[in-house]
This record gives sequence, structure tokens and C-alpha cells, in this order.
Amino acid sequence: MWVIRRCAILGLVWFAAHAAAQSVTADLVPLAPFRAPYLPDRDGEVLQEVPSSADPAVAGMQELRAALDKAPHSLPAAKQLADAYVDYSRQIGDAHYAGYAEAVIAPWVKAPAPAAAALVTQATILQYRHQFNDARELLQHALNIDPRNAQAWLTLATLDMVQGEYRTASKDCAQVTNTAGVELGLGCSGNLRSYIGQARQSLAILQQVEASVAAAPAATQAWVQGLLAESAERLGDWPQAESRYRNALKLLPQDNFLLVAYADFLLDRGRPREVLPLLAAHTQSDTAFLRIALAQQALQSVQLPRYTWIMAARFEALRLRGSEYFGREESRFALQLQHDPTTALDLALRNWQVQRAPWDARVVLEAAHAARQPQAAVPVLEFLEQTKLEDPLLQPLARELRAQLTGPGQ
Amino acid sequence: MRPFEPALLAAVAWLATVNAADAHSASDAYLTLTAEDARTAGKVTLHGQWDIALRDLDFVLKLDDDGDGRLTWGEVHHHQAAIERYAYRYLSLGGGPGDDCVIKAERQLIVDHADGAYAALFFDAVCPGPPHKLLLRYTLFFAIDPSHRGIFVMHGGGNVATALLSPENATVELKP
Repeated sequence: MWVIRRCAILGLVWFAAHAAAQSVTADLVPLAPFRAPYLPDRDGEVLQEVPSSADPAVAGMQELRAALDKAPHSLPAAKQLADAYVDYSRQIGDAHYAGYAEAVIAPWVKAPAPAAAALVTQATILQYRHQFNDARELLQHALNIDPRNAQAWLTLATLDMVQGEYRTASKDCAQVTNTAGVELGLGCSGNLRSYIGQARQSLAILQQVEASVAAAPAATQAWVQGLLAESAERLGDWPQAESRYRNALKLLPQDNFLLVAYADFLLDRGRPREVLPLLAAHTQSDTAFLRIALAQQALQSVQLPRYTWIMAARFEALRLRGSEYFGREESRFALQLQHDPTTALDLALRNWQVQRAPWDARVVLEAAHAARQPQAAVPVLEFLEQTKLEDPLLQPLARELRAQLTGPGQ
Repeated sequence: MRPFEPALLAAVAWLATVNAADAHSASDAYLTLTAEDARTAGKVTLHGQWDIALRDLDFVLKLDDDGDGRLTWGEVHHHQAAIERYAYRYLSLGGGPGDDCVIKAERQLIVDHADGAYAALFFDAVCPGPPHKLLLRYTLFFAIDPSHRGIFVMHGGGNVATALLSPENATVELKP
């Protein structure tokens, strides 16, 4: 018998994953999309989509790579390339480029006295992977070195908002104003207000920012439009939310974050048919893929088992590589597509320990409701009460769970 | 209004992710070794299958010749020798210094995984025996992407063992 030393625990993980995969396969054998290794029939058969060198973003990264190759000891050259990789990774919903960025910036992060700029780039990579504590530590380190580092303050503000630390986020936004200027500072605090029961003020502030960034690059304008869409959603102003999403997508048509947020909007509005063409070119992104599967379900498509199978396989692949940063999506998958509220609740509660955006609250409430375990939702209900988060979808659900908690029989 | 500094734009993009879903399909490769039960002339042969994502190979080897973003079988086929030369540089098996197994590339096929198409590299590793232990050293892509993981499965004598290969866990010891 062959054994591998130092790896006993991973062995167990594999066996568990393998058993789960088998039980999924057993139900859906005829629809399983996988076959044994094969030799394609035709030279022209397309096997894989890859970033095209005709894409200006790809060409831009190639130029930055060439610049770094010419000046391999230049931190600004390395940082520019790494930031471009991270941005591309986020935009297309593909973590490979975050890994490439990490390799590029690594020599500067590992230096005995690292520059703040290098630490901030590494922090954005860790944040992307939901390693929030490590990211926070690096940002604080960077700010000790360079207290006026605007990118560090912006990233810290985001981190605090993701984790529901709104008081700290408010101080971060003030620092953003001091270091990056009024427009970004207002964008920061406008965004923050949408989470603390001030969505109307949030909209007003962001409209002001919108006017002042009219001549800014598309990415900045799209960012403001995306924030406006989110604030409009808090208020249940669906027509405004939709037109904001559309504005943003006109500016950045391929942006994974915007596409997925708009797809969620469409799913909530009962318009799954529109999700399929919206995301057709983005199946590579796991988050986009989940929305496609949810749309197939809403349309009662015969293709649904295939999508569910592939989504399950992708989550298994993530588990095999020891990754746990997918709780929000996995909880939705377990609840909506695997009809397993207990697992969904467990995943949602674990995710809640890490991040606390409105969608993170929502997956807990939906799973607790479906699992008939209102008690499990108490931490989230308390959070909603404290923060006064407005949300026309969350509030009725929260009311119902509270009623169950205080109602007869409890 | 003050113009936006380009250096801040990456950070601006990050603000947008507060309530957004991030998508993550990072780089994985799948390495499977199967030990032959019979030993010939004191040697041990391991049969290997190594699935490496075409996306990853395209990044390092530029497989997409016409740059149209669609990798065809013709393009992959044309680069198969380069794929082998590249990959086998980052894999070694052996009993110790001067006692390496000989890796013989057999054939290359395509295999589908949940996140896309992979090149499936089949090989034999012939090891001087009888080995008390073998060291597997795996460093594929680590220098360009430290988040790459090799998902390793070892079959032998009716048992299965696995390991997750990473920059921190690049060498594992196999004991028959």
C-alpha cells in the first residue's frame, strides 16, 4: 500500500469529496458533461476560450510586462503590472490573474523593509481571496509606513464595509477625503450610508459625485453608477436601479461584478429569461455560472441538471484546493439548487463570520427560514436592527423570523 | 474638479465589491500516479496522468497562435512538444540524490474539467527499486502563480492517498 506522508487530513477531505461527487453523478449520469480523455476530431474544434491579445486590457498587461522585464528592479513597474492583473482578475471573474499579480509583487512584499505600495497591492490580492484578516494587517502595516496612502485607506474602507464595521469605515472614508480628495471621499461615505439606514442620503450624495465625475475614466463613472444602483435597490426603487445598472454596463460591458449584480436584480424581478443572454459569454466565472443555473431553474429548463452538476463540480474543485471563500454563493446553491436548507444555513452562518454585506445577511435569513430555524438567524436580526439596513426584500423576511421567535410555541 | 490619479483607479474598482460577488476559479492541475503491482527486474513503474489547464498553458506558452481568444485543437496540437518540455521540467520523482526515476512521456490527450479543457499528459516513471520511499517534487507554475495547486492522487495496492501540492508543500514522500 502506498501512503503519502504529511497529508493524512487531506486524504480524508478527498474521500469525502469523492463520495459526494459520486452521489451527484449517480442521479445524473446521462447528463454528465464529462467524458474520458479524448482526441478531438477536427483541428478547428474550439477547446477553450482564453484572453485574446486583441483585447486592449490584455495588450495593456503585455506592455506593462515588457516594461517590467526591462526594469526588473523597479517597484513602480511591478506595482503597475500587479495592479493591472488584479483589476483584470476582478473584471473577468477569474482568480488566475490575482495569482500572477502575487508572483509579480512578491519580491517587494518579502523585502526586509517593504514599501507601503507593495503591501497595499498584496492586501488587495488577499482581500480578493477573502483573507480579510491578513489583508487588514497588511493595510495597517502600510499605513504605519505611509499614513497618507490613499489606496490603503480606500481598501481599508471597503474591507470595513464588507465586514459590517461601519463606525470604522466612516473614519476610513474621512481619511479617503483627506488623502484622495473630495470626490472619492464622498463616493466612500455615500456608499457607506446605504448600509446604515440612510439610503436616501446615499443617493443624494452619489448623484453629486456622479455630476463631478462626468469627465472621469469609464471605470470611475461605472463605479458610481454601480453604487447608485445598489442604493436604489435599498429603497426598492427598481426603475432607477435598473437604469443605473444599464448605465454602468454601457461603460464597462464586460465587468463581472456589474453583470452578476444586474443578473441578481433580474432574478429578483422574475426576469430570468434576460439573464441567459446577459451572461452567455461569461460561463468561465463561477459567480456568473451560478446565476445562469438559477435562471435555468426559474425557466424550468431541461438543461438544469447539467448546470447543477457542473456547479457542484466547480465547488468540489474549490474544496479540493482547500478554498473556503465561497460561502455566499455556495449557500445559495445549496438552498436553491440542491434543496438542502440545513447545509445552506451552515454555509451561510460560516460566511457571516467572515463578511456582512446585505447579500450575506440575506442568505442567512433565507436559509434559516427554509430550515425552520429562526433562532439561528438571531445574530443577523440583531445586526439588521443595529445598522438599520433598509432593504425591501430583507425586511419582510426579518419580520417573519422575528414573529416566529416571539410567536406561540416558542 | 481635481483629475483622478490613475494610481487610485484600481482601488476605486475595489470599492465596488462591497456587496458584489467575487468570482474565483484559480489555477489547479490534477496529477494521478498508479503504481504497477508487478515489479520487473527490481524496478518499479508508476503510470501517470497529469491534467494541466489549457488556460494556464496558454499564459506561459502563448498557444493561441492567431490571438483570437479561441484555442483550437489545431493550435494545441501544434504546441504539444512545447507543453511537454515545459511541464516535465517541474516534476521529478526519485529515491534520493542520483537515484531519480526516469519520466517517459507517453501521449497527450484533452480532458474536460468543470472549469474548462485541460491537456492530459500521460507518462511512465520508471524508478530504480526496490524503493523504500520516493520523493515527489512538484513546482509547476509556482514561480508565476503561487496560488496554483496540484491536486495529487496516488493509487497503489488497492488504496488511494492524496495530497495538495503548493509552494509550501512542493515535496511529498511516498512510501510503498
